[in-house]
Amino acid sequence: MKIDRRSFLSFLLGGAAGTALSPLPWKLTDDSSIWTQMWPWTPVPEDGEASYVNSSCTLCPGGCGITVRKIDDRAVKIEGMKRHPVNNGGLCSLGLSGLQLLYGPTRVKTPLKRVGKRGRGRWEKISWKDAVSEVAKTLGDLREKGQSHTVGFISGSDRGTVPRLFERFLTVYGSPNLIRTPSIIDSYELALHLMQGAQALPGFDFENANFILSFGSGIVDGWGSPVRMFRANSAWRDTGGKVIQIEPRLSNTAAKSDKWIPINPGTEAALALGIAHIIIKESLYDAEFINNYSEGFEDWKAFVLGEYGPDSVATITGIDSTTIIALARSFARASKPLAICGRGQGTTPGSLNECTAVHALNALVGNINKKGGVFAVAEPDYINWPEVEMDATAAAGMQKNRLDGAGSKKYPFSRYLLNRLPQAINSGKKYPLKALFVAGANPLYTMSDSKAVKKAFDKVPFIVSFSSYMDETAQNADLILPNHNYLERYEDIPTPAGMPQPVIGLSRPVVEPQFNTKHVGDVIILLAKAMGGTLSDAFAWDSYDACLKETMGYKWQVIIEKGFWSYPDFVAGPREESFDTVSGKFEFAPKETGSLKPFKPVKIEGDKTNYPLLLMPYDSIRLANGAMGDPPFVMKSVDDTVLKGTDVFIEINPKTAGEHGLREGQLAMLSTPVGQAKVKVHLFDGIMPGLVALPRGLGHTAYDEYLAGKGINVNELIGPVEDPVSGLDAAWGVRAKLAKA
Amino acid sequence: MDSALIPRGVKRCPFPQFILFIAIVGAVLLWGVYAMLLCWFKGLNQTNMNDFYGFALWIWADLAVIAVGGGAFFTGLLRYIFGKDDLKNIINYAVLIGFICYSSALLILAIDIGQPLRGWFIFWHANVHSMLTEVAFCLSCYFGVLTIEYIPLVLENRQINKVPFFHHLGHNMHEIMAVFAATGAFLSFFHQGSLGGVAGVLYGRPFAYREGLFIWPWTFFLFTWSAAACGPCFTILVTKITETVTRKKLVKDTAIQLLAKISGWMILTYSIAKTADTWYWATVTVPSLGQTLMDFYSNNPFYGIWILILEIAICGFIPAFILITKKGRKNSAALWIAVFLAVTGVCINRWVMVLQIMAIPVLTFENWVLYLPSWQEIATTILPLAYGVILIAISYRYLPVFPNEPELNPIETLPAEEEEAVEPSVELEQELKPAEA
Amino acid sequence: MKHKNAKKYGMVIDLDKCTGCGSCMVACMAENNVPFRKDESNKVLSITWLRVYQLTNGKPFPNTDICYLPRPCMHCEGQHEGHSPCVSVCPAVATDYNTETGIVSQIYTRCFGCRYCMASCPYHARYFNWWDPVWPDGMEKYLSPNVSPRMRGVVEKCSFCFHRYQLAKEKAFKEGRREIKEDEYQTACTQACPAGAITFGDLNNPNHAVSRMVKPDPKHHGRPTNPNAFRLLERLGTNPKVYYLSSREWVRRAGDNYLENEAKYKKTVHQG
Repeated sequence: MKIDRRSFLSFLLGGAAGTALSPLPWKLTDDSSIWTQMWPWTPVPEDGEASYVNSSCTLCPGGCGITVRKIDDRAVKIEGMKRHPVNNGGLCSLGLSGLQLLYGPTRVKTPLKRVGKRGRGRWEKISWKDAVSEVAKTLGDLREKGQSHTVGFISGSDRGTVPRLFERFLTVYGSPNLIRTPSIIDSYELALHLMQGAQALPGFDFENANFILSFGSGIVDGWGSPVRMFRANSAWRDTGGKVIQIEPRLSNTAAKSDKWIPINPGTEAALALGIAHIIIKESLYDAEFINNYSEGFEDWKAFVLGEYGPDSVATITGIDSTTIIALARSFARASKPLAICGRGQGTTPGSLNECTAVHALNALVGNINKKGGVFAVAEPDYINWPEVEMDATAAAGMQKNRLDGAGSKKYPFSRYLLNRLPQAINSGKKYPLKALFVAGANPLYTMSDSKAVKKAFDKVPFIVSFSSYMDETAQNADLILPNHNYLERYEDIPTPAGMPQPVIGLSRPVVEPQFNTKHVGDVIILLAKAMGGTLSDAFAWDSYDACLKETMGYKWQVIIEKGFWSYPDFVAGPREESFDTVSGKFEFAPKETGSLKPFKPVKIEGDKTNYPLLLMPYDSIRLANGAMGDPPFVMKSVDDTVLKGTDVFIEINPKTAGEHGLREGQLAMLSTPVGQAKVKVHLFDGIMPGLVALPRGLGHTAYDEYLAGKGINVNELIGPVEDPVSGLDAAWGVRAKLAKA
Repeated sequence: MDSALIPRGVKRCPFPQFILFIAIVGAVLLWGVYAMLLCWFKGLNQTNMNDFYGFALWIWADLAVIAVGGGAFFTGLLRYIFGKDDLKNIINYAVLIGFICYSSALLILAIDIGQPLRGWFIFWHANVHSMLTEVAFCLSCYFGVLTIEYIPLVLENRQINKVPFFHHLGHNMHEIMAVFAATGAFLSFFHQGSLGGVAGVLYGRPFAYREGLFIWPWTFFLFTWSAAACGPCFTILVTKITETVTRKKLVKDTAIQLLAKISGWMILTYSIAKTADTWYWATVTVPSLGQTLMDFYSNNPFYGIWILILEIAICGFIPAFILITKKGRKNSAALWIAVFLAVTGVCINRWVMVLQIMAIPVLTFENWVLYLPSWQEIATTILPLAYGVILIAISYRYLPVFPNEPELNPIETLPAEEEEAVEPSVELEQELKPAEA
Repeated sequence: MKHKNAKKYGMVIDLDKCTGCGSCMVACMAENNVPFRKDESNKVLSITWLRVYQLTNGKPFPNTDICYLPRPCMHCEGQHEGHSPCVSVCPAVATDYNTETGIVSQIYTRCFGCRYCMASCPYHARYFNWWDPVWPDGMEKYLSPNVSPRMRGVVEKCSFCFHRYQLAKEKAFKEGRREIKEDEYQTACTQACPAGAITFGDLNNPNHAVSRMVKPDPKHHGRPTNPNAFRLLERLGTNPKVYYLSSREWVRRAGDNYLENEAKYKKTVHQG
C-alpha cells in the first residue's frame, strides 16, 4: 500500500480524533490526578490502635507531667498530663516537641569512639562491652596511680537516683569533683543555708500569693517550673493578684505584669534594701515574726536605715523615690506578698547579696514557711541506700580539695562552682583533670566565656559524654555512651524547681529504645561492676530499673499508676522549728555574707570608655538554652525579629541606635572584652537606652541543621564574674560596643 | 525553499533569514520552557511568591494578556454584529493576537497552579459562586471560539486550501463566523468581567473590594470595559510594530483610524467610570472600613499615589483625548503614543488589582510586603511573548493575515522561486482574497 | 439549611493571659503533621496554622507595651452562613463551610493550588505548600494517622482540629450518645496552652464557656457584647469565630482599622 501525504495526514488526524473520543485520555487525566493525591514521596502515617502513656518531662527542671499518645508502638503526640500538680494539662513548646528529639536526627544511635582529632566529628561505632571496659580501664589506671581525685563529673542535677548514683560512684571511686550545673537555685540554697540554716530547696507558694515583687525573674519567660508559673500568672489575672516586674528590659513577664519598673541593670539589691528601708521606717513589717523569730534585725535595720534612703536608692537604681516608696508600701500592705529573684530563667546564680536582700524582704513581711510565702523544702528522703564502704584510695581521693574551689576556705558555703572550673584547669595551679564525665549537661555550650571553656576541655585527656544527642559537649568528647532518650527510660524526678511542697515525678519508657543506647544508671552500675572491689560492692543492683524500684519501695505502685508521688499532707514545721541557725532564728544579717557592707554593684567586665554600652543576655521560652537545644518546631516559632536566616538580632533602643547611626535590620559588629560577633539590629522601644540585649539559646554548633549555625551563642561574648561571697557566677551582663559592620 | 507555502502576491524575506529570526526568538522560548519545566517538576518554590503573595507576576500577566487580547472580541463584535466593514482588514490580525493572548493565558495558568495535573478540577468540582470558575469556563470556551475563528485563516494557506475538504470547510466556517463572533463577545464580556470580579469580591481586602450590581462588583464592568477599550489599542500597537518590522504597510488607514476612534471613546468613558468608581470607593467604601485612601499609597517604598495618577490620568485620559480627536489619531507619532499609553494603562490597572492588593497589610499589626519575581517567573512570563512572536511570524509568512497587503504592496516582478513553485493544480487556486475570519 | 442541632465552634483567646510562649503554635504543628524546613525564619514561607503575633503600642521607653496575639484560622462565617472570604472564592470547592459545626475545612486532595483563597484572606491564615514536605529520616514515625500530611502545591490551614471532632463524635456514637460534651472536643492549642488563655466551644450553646465569655450577639452575626472582647477586622464583615479578650484599650483597637479620631463604628458597607 502506498502511503501518500494525504493518507498519512488523514491517518494522523483520524487517529487523534479517535483517541480523543476514546476513554483513554480521560482515564489518563483522572489517573494522573489520583497519582498526585498519593505521591509516593508524601508519607502516609500508618493507622493503628491508639493508647496513652503517662510520664514526666525531663527536658528542663520543671517536672511537668506528660501524656503521650501512641499509635501501636509509635509515639505520635506529647500532651500535658491533666490534673498533674505541676502543669495540669498545659505544656511548654519544648515539651510539646519532644518527639522530634526522640525520633530526630540528633540522636546518638550507638556508643561512639572518637577517631582522629577531637571535635572533628569522626567516630567509630563500638560495642557497649568495649566502651564500658575502656572507661573502666582508664578509671582503673588513674586510681592505681592514686589520681582518683583527677576525675570530674558534670551533672545537670544532684537530686534523684541517677545523680545520686554518680555521687555514689565518685565517692567509692575517690573523687570529690561532682559538679552540678549552676542556676539561681545555687544562690537560693546558699541564702536559705545562711539565713535559715536549712539544707533545702527554695519553694514558692505562688498559688496563694497575691502580690509578686519580681526582681527580673521571668515569671512567664521560663523561670522556675515554667508551666506552673504560667498557670500561676493566669490565676493572678483571675483573682486580682498583682505582679510588679523590675528589670531594664520589657520582657514578656514585664509586659504581662501589672507594673513594669525599669531599673539600672545590676542595682536590684539596692532597690530591695531601699524597699526594706521604707518598710522599716514606716513600721510596715511583721513585728511578730521579727520579734520572735529573727536575729540581727537591729543591726540590719541600722544599716538599711542609714544607707538606703529612697533618694540615694533612686540615684543608684534610676527609679524615682516616690515609686520606691509606693512600691514598698504596696508590698508591705499586700495580704500575701512575695519577693523573688533570679534574672530571666534564673540561668545564672547572680549576686548572693542580691538574693539575701530579696529574701530579707520576705522575712520582713513574715513570709517564711507560710502560706503564700517562701518555703525551705527539704529533699524527699526516699533514697536510703546502704552506706558505702570506701577503701584507702577512695578516702584519700575524697580528702582532696575540690578543683572548682567549692567548700574551700575562700568559698566555704558553696557546693558547686562550675564557673571556676575552666580557670582552675587552665591555670594548672591545683591539679589537672585527667578524666571528665558529663551527663544531663552541655557545658561547652552553656558555660560563659566559651573560648576559655573550650581551652580547659582541650586540656582534659579523657572526656566521656552520656548525652542522648550530638550536642557540643558530645561532639568534643572522646567517648559517647548515649543514654536512652527521656521517653525511653525510667527516672525519678524529685521536686521540680520552686515547688513549695515535695513531689516525686516519674519518667518512664513510652516507647522501646529506638537505638543501641543504654540507661546511664545501668552504665554506672556496669562500670562499677567492671571495676570490682568496693565499687562493685557499692552497686549491688542488677540494673537501674531494679535499683529505682527498690529505692521507691512502697511508693512504686502509686507512682507507676499515677505518674507522680505527692505529699498532700506536707506542712512546713512550726516557726519554732523552722530555723536551724546557731540562734535558731532567721538571720537578717548573717556575718558570713558581709551583708552589712554597703551595696557594691557586681563589677562586670569591660571599661566604660572602650565599651560604652551594656550587653545583657535575655531568656525566651521559645529558645531552650540549657542542656537541650530547640527542636525544629520550637525553632519555627522563633520570631523574625529574633532570628532571620542565620543572623541574630540585637535589641536596642531606637535612641541608642540613632546615636550609633544604626537602622532596623542593619548589620553591626558587637564587641565585648570577651569576644565579638556580627549581629543585626532590631529597634525595640522596650529596652533601656544604653543597653543592648541578645537572646540565649542560639549559636549552636552541634545538633542538627535546623538549629546549628543560626545566630550566636551569647556565652561567646560574656565571661563569668565571681561573686565575692559565694564564688558563683554573678555576671548579669558585660560592657559592649556596637559598630556598623 | 518554502515558497510553495507563501501566499500569492506577497513578498517574504529569504527562508534562512526567517529561520535565523525564529531561532533567536526560539532560544528565548526555550529558556521559558526550561523555567516552566522547573516549575512543574520542582514546584512553585522556584518562584518568589510566598504566603502573602499567592497571586503575583503570573496572575498579572494573565490578566494583562487577556485585557489586551480583548481586541479580538471587541473588533469581532464591531465587525460582525455592528457591521463595521472597514474592520475586515484588521480582523484577521485581531483574531490572531487574541488567539495568542488567550493561549498564553491558559499556559500561564497551567504553570501557576500548584497541582497542574488537577487543573481540571475547576470544571469537574466547579464552585459556581467563584469568580475564578466563571473565568475558567468562559476563558476556555472563548479560547475554543478563537481557535474556530483562527482555523479558517489557517485553512487559507495555499497548500492546505488545495485539499477540497479543507477548502470547503474554511468556506463554510466563514459563513457562520458571525455566530462565533457573537458567542465570543458574550463569553468575553463575562470572563473579562469575572476577572475584574476576582479582585472586586475580595471583601476581606479593602483595597480590592468594590460594591456593585447584584452579584457583580463594579470591577466586573470596569474590566470588561477597559479590555474593550484598550484591547483594540493593543491590536493597533502590534499592527504598527509588525508594519515597522516588515517595513510594509499592511492595514489600510481607514481600519486603523476607525478602530482608534472607537477605542478612544471607549477609553474616555472608561476613564470617567474608573474615576467615579475610585472616587466613591475612596470616599465611602474605604472610610467605612476605617481606612483612608492614602493608607494604600504610603508607608512603603514603592506604591505611591503616583501609580493611581499614572493609571487614570496619564494612561487613561491622555490617550483617550488623542484618539477621539481626528488630528490626534491621524498623527502617526501621537497614535503611537496613545496606543502605547492605553496598553500601559490597562496593564498597570491589572498590576494594581493583583500585586498591590497583596502588598497592602489589612491587619493593623502587619506591614507592607513587597515582592520581586524570580528569574523563573520572568522567563515563563516572557515565554508566551516569544511564542506570540513566533506564531505571528509564521502566520504572517504563510497565511493571508493581511488582506490589504498585496494591494498596498504590489509586487512588480515575480521572484524566480515564485515561478518555480507554481503548482499544477491551478484550478483550485483562487484569487487571493481577504480571509473573512 | 440550618441543622437543628447545628454547632458553631468558636474560640476565645484571653490576651491578658497569653504570654506569647508559643506552645499553641507547637502543639498545633505536632498535632497536625505540619512540616518544617531548615530555615523557617522567613515568615511568609513558614507554615504556621496558628501564628503568634507580637503587637506593640508604639510608645517610647518606658511607656512601651507589648501584647501577643495568637492567630489561628478565624473560621469566618461571612455575611451569611458559609460566605467566608475564602470559601466563596475557591473555584473547586476545596475549602468548605461545614454548617453542622461552622468549621471551614480544607480538602487537600481537591485543592489544585490556585491560591485564590490566600489572596482573599485578610488574616494570612492560609499557607501554601511551596515544597514537598520532608521529614528527616526516622521522624515520620511521629506522624499522626488522623491528619494526612499534605503534598506539595496545595493550600493548608487551621481546621480547629476537626479530626478531634470526628474522633469525639465516633466515641459518642459508640457509647450511644448523640451529643458530645464540651470537654470531649477541644483543639490541640486550647489543650496545650499553659496559661489557659484559650477557650474553645460552641458559640450557639449559651452554657459553653465561650458564649459566657464574649456574649455573642446573634442579631449581629455574633458580634461580642462583652466590652473587653473583640474580633479581628470586625468591620470587614468576615464575622470570625475567634474572639479576643483584652483589658487594654490599645490592644482592642489594634484589632481593626480606625480613622483618626474615630471613636465608634460607623455604618459599614457590605455587599459580599
